[in-house]
Order: sequence, then structure tokens, then C-alpha cells
Amino acid sequence: MEGRGLDNANPTILSVSQLPSRRRKGGAVRRGPDSKCDSIVYPRQHWPYGSGVSSGEDDEEEDEEEPIDEQDIFDLISTISDPEHPHTLGQLSVVRLPDIHLSPSPAKLPSPDALVTVRVDLTPTINHCSLATVIGLAVRCRLEQTLPPNYRVEVKMKEGSHAQDDQVNKQLGDKERVAAALENDTLQRMVDKMLSTCV
Amino acid sequence: MAGVQFKQWALEYVLSDEETAQLELARKAAREIESSHANSTVVGNWAASIQQWMSPAHDDDQLDDIQASGGGNIITRAKGAYSMMLNRQPEYDFSSDSLGTIFTALSFLSSTLEALDKGTLKSDQGIPVSPVQSSCVIPYADLLSVQRLIGFFGSMFSYDHKAGITAASKALRQLSAMKGFKPPMGVKILEDVCKIKEDFRLQTALTRLEVYELFLRLLQDSAVASELQHKYGSSAGFILDLLELCANERDPRNLMTWFKTITVLLKDYDLSPEVAEEIFKTFSAYFPISLRNTTTQIAITADDLKEAIRSCFAAHHCISSFVFPFLLQKLDQGDAVTVAVKLDILKTMRACVESYGNPQISLAPYVEKLWNSLKYEVRNGDVKETIDATLDVLRAIAKRLDGTSGQKLNVSLLTDYVDLVIRDCRDDLSKPSYTKQAGLLLITVICATVRGYLLYNASFIDFLRQNIRQPKSPSHTDDLLLLLNSFLKSRMELVVQRGEKYREDQESLNCEAHTHLKSLFHDIYLPIWSKRAAEPTSEEGDVLKKVAEGLARLATQQVVQPTGDIVLLNSPPVCSEICSLLTEELIKGLDMNPDDSKSDDHTLEDQVVLALRTIVMVYRDGYAELVARAVAEIRKRDWANPSHHSLNSLRDLLSRLSFIGCSKIPAHIAMTTPSKKPYSPLQHFVTFVASLLDLFPLTRQAHEECLANAHIVSSLHAGLLWFRDACDEKYGNAVFTWGSTNQINLKEIPDDFFTAVHRGDVTLVSLSESSPSVYHEFVKLGLFLVVHLYRSATLGPRELWSERALVQVSQMAALITRMLSIDEQVSLNLAHEAFNFFRRPNDEAVEKNLSYVSSGLLTLGILQGLRPEAMTELVSLLSVYQSQLNKANSSQYALGGVAEQFMCDACDLMQHQQKASDIRGAICTVLANKFKPGPSFSNSESLTLNQTFDFWAEWIKNATSLEKGISSESFEVILPIALGVITGSIARQDKHVLDLVPILHQAISNKHANGEILAKSMGILFKPNNLLSPEYHAILKRFYRQWAYFSITKPLFALAQPAAADGHSASRYRIAIIFMVANCPFTIYQDDLDSLIPLLITSLTGGSNSNSFTGKDVVFTQAFAALQILTEILGNGPDALKSHLREIINGAKMIYSKCCGNVGDENLAATRTRCRKLALHVLGMIPLKFEERHIIAYAPPTQRMLAVACGDAVRKVREVARQARASWAKVA
Repeated sequence: MEGRGLDNANPTILSVSQLPSRRRKGGAVRRGPDSKCDSIVYPRQHWPYGSGVSSGEDDEEEDEEEPIDEQDIFDLISTISDPEHPHTLGQLSVVRLPDIHLSPSPAKLPSPDALVTVRVDLTPTINHCSLATVIGLAVRCRLEQTLPPNYRVEVKMKEGSHAQDDQVNKQLGDKERVAAALENDTLQRMVDKMLSTCV
Repeated sequence: MAGVQFKQWALEYVLSDEETAQLELARKAAREIESSHANSTVVGNWAASIQQWMSPAHDDDQLDDIQASGGGNIITRAKGAYSMMLNRQPEYDFSSDSLGTIFTALSFLSSTLEALDKGTLKSDQGIPVSPVQSSCVIPYADLLSVQRLIGFFGSMFSYDHKAGITAASKALRQLSAMKGFKPPMGVKILEDVCKIKEDFRLQTALTRLEVYELFLRLLQDSAVASELQHKYGSSAGFILDLLELCANERDPRNLMTWFKTITVLLKDYDLSPEVAEEIFKTFSAYFPISLRNTTTQIAITADDLKEAIRSCFAAHHCISSFVFPFLLQKLDQGDAVTVAVKLDILKTMRACVESYGNPQISLAPYVEKLWNSLKYEVRNGDVKETIDATLDVLRAIAKRLDGTSGQKLNVSLLTDYVDLVIRDCRDDLSKPSYTKQAGLLLITVICATVRGYLLYNASFIDFLRQNIRQPKSPSHTDDLLLLLNSFLKSRMELVVQRGEKYREDQESLNCEAHTHLKSLFHDIYLPIWSKRAAEPTSEEGDVLKKVAEGLARLATQQVVQPTGDIVLLNSPPVCSEICSLLTEELIKGLDMNPDDSKSDDHTLEDQVVLALRTIVMVYRDGYAELVARAVAEIRKRDWANPSHHSLNSLRDLLSRLSFIGCSKIPAHIAMTTPSKKPYSPLQHFVTFVASLLDLFPLTRQAHEECLANAHIVSSLHAGLLWFRDACDEKYGNAVFTWGSTNQINLKEIPDDFFTAVHRGDVTLVSLSESSPSVYHEFVKLGLFLVVHLYRSATLGPRELWSERALVQVSQMAALITRMLSIDEQVSLNLAHEAFNFFRRPNDEAVEKNLSYVSSGLLTLGILQGLRPEAMTELVSLLSVYQSQLNKANSSQYALGGVAEQFMCDACDLMQHQQKASDIRGAICTVLANKFKPGPSFSNSESLTLNQTFDFWAEWIKNATSLEKGISSESFEVILPIALGVITGSIARQDKHVLDLVPILHQAISNKHANGEILAKSMGILFKPNNLLSPEYHAILKRFYRQWAYFSITKPLFALAQPAAADGHSASRYRIAIIFMVANCPFTIYQDDLDSLIPLLITSLTGGSNSNSFTGKDVVFTQAFAALQILTEILGNGPDALKSHLREIINGAKMIYSKCCGNVGDENLAATRTRCRKLALHVLGMIPLKFEERHIIAYAPPTQRMLAVACGDAVRKVREVARQARASWAKVA
């Protein structure tokens, strides 16, 4: 890919704070200059005495049972790097929260092992983006590597967002073609590099 | 006789391999010469002692000749022997061995000279030494020997160039330090040494070093220097010889000395331009210098070499005409120059600018060239270090052109330079790509000197003002504001450092015009803020941060009045307006909607907090205004049923108020209109405390946690901590002591003390900002605050005080109490107040208002901070339980005191709360720990403690026995007291604990269910405990945890193994071990990993039948503890796990699946979730710690299991599962 001019030299970029995120009830961890004494005056566990094994610094809220939802999927894939810009797919709005669909929806999940389909519609920054397939491949890889086996992944170009969305969708939907693409060392390296920013 | 002795010593010296022995022999020879008062015969014999090595031994004829010719003149004899040796080379065995021997023999002479007293050598006849000296009438008493020896050693450089040079150089250096040494001899030495010529470079590096040292020694000698100047004049022929001799030197150590010599030549010798140029050529050939990595260790770094050559460049301005063009030419090589080299050039340039005298001639002619090259380094540079170094050079130029050594130069030198910079940079300010760089250049040059600042500051501000009015983009505004802020910062530095170098500067600053500075707020900062503050975008947010920072700089600007006094630049109304503007931003959070996308980004608020803190440190009235406004806003809201978001906003606001007012000590700076309040370093602290106490309670409605009220108490605690840190930073760890005449009666403190001080009805002691008494006064006020809170908590309505708030009050009490000395703690009767809670005689009884947990917390707070010596009588309280438990059904208390009664209440078995038990345990831990046997303790107290141990031993034995065992509920209530006593005693390694160990072991294995409760509670003995820390005056032995582990835990390993005969006991011991070890640092148990790992595996897998003995809650908590230990082992010593990997992986998987699904018990759900998370974490760590070959066999099933775990019901667990899955995915 080196030496090639950028498909879109000036994409619109969102800052990380503008991306959709899960707001915690307890408020974010305070990091201001006044937060030095927080561990003493606002401790996570206000009762410092007693026995037993310390339970770490977990919030009870974090232990609540919550099924995988659209925001989880967004968090998984929005941190993938763009192959040509030093930004993430979330920042470039290639991945958007409203374009992630879970079926059946998390609230109606009959059992934890029920088969769930995840559909992600990607919006390339320009409609002739030559890297749309690679981006789709990376999203697919990321989801397959991180979701449990009962989740089926469908990655598509959002309708009308790409000049050749049919072709790209066909490629991304074909398991064998995806597997074959990942056999290609160059492509695999590229995908690995894109996924290296995921946490 | 002496001759034989010398020969003998010389022989021994030559034969010896040991340096110390050789040194001793040289000392002997030196002593012999000294004792003979340097008799010429003795000196002659000494010199002749090496003769046997200087000539072939078999050539007797030659030797005889020498002896015959020399007679008494032993120097000639030695010299003759030496020349003979050289002349007869064909016959002489000139092997390296014999050369080495000659070297050692000559070393004997040089070492002797080294050991010789410098005034010893004398002469026995007067011979004119040189034409110069022959004209002087001087006593030659000391000259002869020195002169002759110099002649002898000097001749080495003409004859032998291999063996004698090192020793000769060393000897000459010693001789040059002799009393008898005269300057002409130095000249002769230099001339002699230079005769070596081309052969010099063939010498070893070490030999050359000796010669360099000799040169340096001679050239640094001012007498030798004037002799050389006299003889050679400014043409300095000897320097040319030296340069020729030493050119091509490559050895780093030698170069260091050589560069030093060059610096001396340039600095101390009057040189003609030609010679100066020759010297410059010699050392500049090495620039830029680097050091090749070698295997041999030398104690010289590349930086040392750079520094040494830099001092050559900066040695004297006579070479300035060569230096600046040379350095500029090196700098202008473009990309060929690396950053390191560029930095070296710039640093060298700066050193030259700063050290050259006569800047009119040495610097002014090159200023334009320097500027033209350097400006690009800043304008187009992208490496911070290079830019900073360039700015340093430009600043140095301005300073140098301003004046030297306290004398101001003609102002035109400086103005020409600044005009040049302004001409080039002014237009760049309007180009966003270059704004920052151009501004930096301008600020650096203008603010380098007071004179430059006064001449140009108004026009610079005008440039900025024009550009800020017509910005090209938000980032352009951002850059321009950054420049304005930096400018204000530089201005303050000039004001603070005024008059340090030039008295004129101080006088000029007194007359500085301020109008353009005063208008900055209304002209620049306020319009930008007002325009953007409502709905800032992220770029505008950055601009606002710069405005906040700038406002802080502006509000703290100080000006020098014509009288010389310092006052704030801005009037109080302007400062107040600035504060109000920033306060607005701070209290905005209270109104913010929780769904507002900006509510997570606090960087602007943080900047505002920092700005406000800076401002109120000098504009002191600002803090009272700020707090009053914040308090009014808080009061406006309803805190009866606040939302989570409102509570967080309240917490943030109060926390920021504490930081702004208490984290620094206010400065005493005058205002143009004096403040109504007198200055006190503690005024902000008092304002903060008074306002928050006034605000308390925010709600009287009792609900679950009363968080709003608790946040007020937490903020008061934060205020104490901040102010304590501020005092520590300013005054160090001063010890608080009250004078005996200044006793405080806590009973007399009025309830509204802080409000009265805040209103001004009560005045604090007048203190200066720098007086350490501020700290003392702070501790006193802190104590008053604690007293106030204790009384409020014990006497006021109970529902206002949540447990969270009381914990904070308790910790505040501990913080303040621990700062008091023993005498103060005793005089305040704090041991009594720990149970009385500072109540006055007429106050009502505590019991009516407080639960046991509440009063226990308040008691513990004071006890925690007490010193052992101030609470001696309290140890007896431990025996209360003994009497109380022995008559369990009795309702009569045998003891009458408040404290005793309180402790007895603690035994009320109706108090089944877990927290009440925790508090009891904590109090007993403190009481049992702060027992220091010594004169202050009576025998009865030791006896009490012993009886207490006996009692608890008996109680544990009975309570866990099948026959006498008590109910599990009662056991759980009382056990923490026993464990508290043991924990406190363990910390001071009380030997009585050892008597308890077998009883504990037995009790754990007892079949009664209480045995299991004891086993799982054993961890508390090792748990890191804040109560047992030295800052709270706990008595701690250094290795007490190792001691306890060795005594209590280690003996159980053998009994706990899965294969042990008694499965029940083994299971109990395993529980105890795992809970104890989980609370220990890895280093304590690292030697027992072989015994420990099987136990961990059993607790994960459940073993064959072990779980049949244990309760379900214990299974999970035990597994969690085991996983914690495994994490520690994986982190610190994973090798021990290598042979158990299969079991560990299976164990982690098993415990994960065991913890999945609904067991039904809500209380266990959290433990099960934590277990799952930790099990996955352990699994994820394994591939990171072991090579693939050890784990590849387990990869497929583990990967499958982790894939499923990625669908765990809990989000946090899923995150850990994904990480583990990713780390296993790398296993092929």
C-alpha cells in the first residue's frame, strides 16, 4: 500500500470524548489536581476494618449481570485503526453505534447460549474507498476473536455508502473467501496492525 | 653503608611485584635521604643505586670508567652508565624484560621523590643554573639537587624513549613541586620533554598521560608562566612545539588533560593572533567529539570530553573570530547534523557567548550571523531539546549585550539585536504555522533582560493584541494566548529577580508603565472567555484553558512601586471579577445534566481549579468570595433526595474548594487597596472549615448513607490532609510542641469557634508566612475541628451521621492526634477522651445517641493516633473481656469507669453486627500493640497482658471443642477480639503469642464448625493493617510477619497436604494456610512454594473429598484466595509452577465453571464473579509466563473454554476473558 496516495486526504475526525460510551453510574475516576486525597477521603470501600480476603478495588456495580449489547460491540470495533489514517474507525465514523444490530436484541435473549446475529454496517469515509474490504475484514476478525461461539457475525457496507457495496458485501459474507484472504501474509499483517490498537 | 642500603632497596623494589611493598621501599629511601638532610653523598648513592640495571652487568671496564670519572658526582655516573648502555646497544640485551627492569628501577627513583618531603633536597655547592638566574643573588642551597635531577630525568627524553619516560615524567612532576624548584627549571623541563618529538606518539597512552600531567602542572604554575612569557614573548614558540608534539592524540583520558592544558594556555598566556589560531586549529579539529564504545572500562564519558573541549572554545575571547564562524558553519550543514551534535554545537555556542569578555568586539560583530542561522532552528525545528538550546543561546546573547560583570553596556548593542529579531518575527505572528515559534523567539529576546523588557514589552503586547483580534483559527488564538501567558510568566520572573545583577534594573522597574498590562483582562481575556464559555467545542475548550491559565498569571502579576514596595498589578475589583468569572465555571457542574456529553471531560475545570488556587494565594479575599458563592449555590439545592449525579457534583465542588484553599499557604502580598482582613497563613483554612461546618448538615432527612453530609466531612478531612502536606512542603517535618505556659483547655472551646474566627470576632496568633509556627497553629486548629466534630457526632441528632462520615471523623482524629507529642497527648488527657469524646461535664451521656459501631469508631480514631506512652493505663482494658465473658449471663458490670463500661458494652452478645465485631477487633489490636514494656509500665500491666493471653487461649480451646463449644454466631462475634489481641501482639513479636500457636492449630482442626470459622479468619493476622503503621506510633518489629509466618503458618504445611492421613484436619489447615498466605507478600512464602502449590490446586479442584468438610462460602472464598496467591506466584516466580501447569489450568477452568450459573445465594454472587474474573486472569497470565512447548498441549481446550467465557454474563469478566483469549490465541 506504500506509495499510494490517500483515498481521502481530509476525513472528518471525532475526538475520543465525542464517541458514544457507557456512562458509569459512579462517575468517571477523578483525575484532577484535587484528587490526590481521594483514596483516603472518598475510598471505594468506606469500611476499612475487619477480616477476610481483600476483594480488590471492584465496584459492586461492575459485577452486575449485563448481556452483550450494541455498545459492547461498538467498544470492540471502534478502536480498530484505520489502514491509512492515524485514527480509529470510531473517530472516522466508519463504525457507528446506530449501525450495529443484534438479533435477538439483548433484552429479549431467551438464554445465554441462544444464537445471536451481530450485523455491523460500515460507512467508508468516501464511496470509492479501496480499503473498504480490508476494513470489513478487520472488523470481522475482531468480532470473531472476541465474541463467544454462539454469536454469528455479518459485516456489510451500509447501503449507498460505497460505490461497489454489493461486491464488497459478497466478499465479506463469503466464509471461504475471508479464510483465503487471511491466508495472505500481507493482508494478515495489515489486519494485525489495524487490530493492534484494540484493547 | 647507605649506598649498600639503597642498592638493596632498589633491588628489592625491582624484584617486588606488589605495589604496596614497592611503595614502602620508596618511603624507606625517602626517609633515609630526609634523615641525612639530603647530604650529597647520600643523594648520590641513592641515584647510583639503580646503576646495575642501567648498564650491562658484565661490562666491568665500562663500569669502572664511569666510577672513575664520576667520583662524587653520582648524577654523571648514572648518566654515564646510561649513555654507555645506549652506545653499546649491539652487545646489550635490549629485550622487553630488561626494558621493564629499567622502567622499574627508574620508578624506584621517582617513587622515592614522590615520598620525599618537598623541602628536603639541597645542594652542596653553588653553580649558576641559567643566565637569568646567574644575575640574581639567590641562595643556591636547594637548587643543586633539584637542578641535577631535572637534568638527569630531562635527558631521558633525548636518549631512551621507551623505558624511562613514564618514570622520568613522574619524577619531573615531583621535582617541580619541590621547594628547590625554580621557574627556569620549568622552562628547561618543557624544552627537554619536547625533544622527544616524533617518538612521543609511539609511547603508550599511560606514558603520554604522565607527560600531559607534567605539562599541565608546569603551565598552570604562574611563576613558570611568567618565565615562559619572558623568554618567548607573545610568539610563544614553546606552544608551537607543544602543539606539534601533542597533535593526533586519540586517547580519551589524555585528551581530557590535553584540553585542560589548552584551556590554561588560552586563558593565562598572552598570545599573538597567529598562535591563537594555531591553538584553535588544534582543538577544533576534534569538534564535534564522540567516544567509540570499547570493551575496556574508562571512567570518562562522551559528555566529559564534550565538556572539556567546550571549555577550550569558551576559554578566551581572543579566538572569537575563529570560533563563531566555525560553529555556524558546523550548524548550517543541514540534515547532516544529528540532534546530539546540534545540541553540542548550541551548548558550545552558549558557553562562548556567556564567557567571552569584551562583547563589543568578541560578540557584537557576529550577532547578525548568529541570529540568521539560529532563527531557523526555532522557526522550522521540531525537536524540543534543540529549540530550547537555541533559545538559550539567543537569551545569552541578549544578556551579554546588556552588560558584563555588573556593568551595563551601551544600550544600542541590545536594541540593535532586539530590533533585528522583531523585524524578522513580527509578521510571523499572523501566520498560524509560525505564530508559536515567532512568539517564543520574541519573548526570549525581549524578556532576557529588564532593559529589553522595559523598552519593548508594550509593543510586543500590541503585536499580540492585534493578532488576537483577528485570529485565523481557534488554534491560532490558542497559540497567541500561550504566548501572552508565557510573556506574563517571564515578566514575573524579571520582577522577582530584579536587581540581582544590576542595581539600575531595580530602579527602572520602579518606573515601569502598567496601563497596557492592566487592560489585558478587559481587552483580551474577558472577550475571548465570554464568547466561548457557553458551549465550547473541543478546540475552544483548549482556548478557554489557556484563558484560565492566563487569568491566573495576570491576577498574580506584581509591580514595584516607586517606593520599592511590591503590590499586585490589578486592583481588588479586577481580581474579584477574575475570580468570579472562574468560580462561575466551577459551580456550573451543580447544574449540569448527567447526560451532557461534556460532563466527563473535566480538563477545563481542572485548569480553572489550578488557576483559582494560584490567584487566591495572592489575592486572598478571593477565596472567601469563592467559598461564599459556592456555599450559597449548594444551599439553593435540595439535598434530601439528591441524584447520584448531584452528589458527585457536590463531592467534586467541595473537593476542589479544599484543594484551592488548603493545598498552599497564602502569600503576604499587598494590594493597591488594602484588604479588610489581616493576613494570616491560616486564613483560607479557617474560611474553608468555618464555611463547611456552617453548611453541615445539608440534609436532616435520614436515608441510607446520608452522602451529602458525608461529603462535607470528607472534604474537611481532605482540607486537613492538604494543609498538612502544604506545611510539610514548606517547613519540613517540624515537631509540634506547645510551650508549657500555653496549655489548652479543650473544654473551653466554644461551639462556634471557627465561625467566630472567620467573622473576625476571634483573631488568630499573628504569624508570618515563613514561620514554622504556622504548622503548630494548624495542628491546634485541626484539634479544635476534631473536638467540634466529636461533640456534634455524639451530642447532635444521630441521623445526620452516617457510618461513612464517622469513619472520616475517626481518621481525622487519628491524623491530628498522631501529630501531638507524648506530653501534649498526656496533658490533653486524650486516653480519657477516647471514651469521653470531648464531652463537657454538663453534656448528656453518649449512650443515648450513639450505636456501638459509631462510638467504637470515635474511640478507635483517638486510640490509633496515641503514642504508647500516653495510653499506659488502657492496657488493663483488655482484661475487661475476661471478667465479662466469665460471667456471661451477668448484667452487673464489675467496673465503674466509662472506658470499662464501654468495653463491656462491646461484649454485649446482642451486638451481632459484623461491623461491631470489626471495631472491637481493631480496638483490641491497638490496645495489645501499644504496650511498651519499660519503666513507664508497671508489672501489673504486664501481668494483665499475660492473663489476657491465657484467657483467650482457654476461650479458643473451649469455644471450638465439641463438648464446650459455643454457637457459631457467638463465636463470630467474640473471635475478632481474640484475633485483634493476637494481631497487635504479633506486630511487636510478643513471645507469649508462641504459647498460643499450638492451641490455635488444635482449634482449627477441631471438628466443631467454629474451627472452620477460625481457619478462615486466620488471614487477619497477616492482613496489611493501617492501624499497625509506624506513622500511627504502632510498635513494629522489622520482620514480625516473617516471624509470625514461621511460627504459625509454616508448621501447618506438612499436616495440610492432600495425602495427609487426617483428611478433615488437612482440609482445615489448608483453609488456614491459604487465607494466611494470601495476605502475605510473595517474599515471605517463596521458599515454601513446593508445599504450597498442591494445596492451591486442591482448593481449586476441590480435591477428592475435601469439600465435604467445608461450607459453600468457604469453597469460593478459599478458591479466590488461592487464585490471588497463584497470581502472585505467576508474577514473581512462575518457574515453580512449571511442573503443575496441567493441574493449574484444569483447576482454574473448574473453579470458573463452578462459579458460573445461579447458586441461589445472593451473598455468594459477588464472590463467584470475582472468582471467575481471577480464574480467567490466571489463565491469561500463563501463556505470558511460559514457553509455548510447556502449554501447547492444553491450548485447544483452553481456547474453547475462553471463547465461551467471552459470553460471560458480567461485562468485566468478559473483558478479562477476551484478554486471556488473546494471550492464548498466540499459542500456535
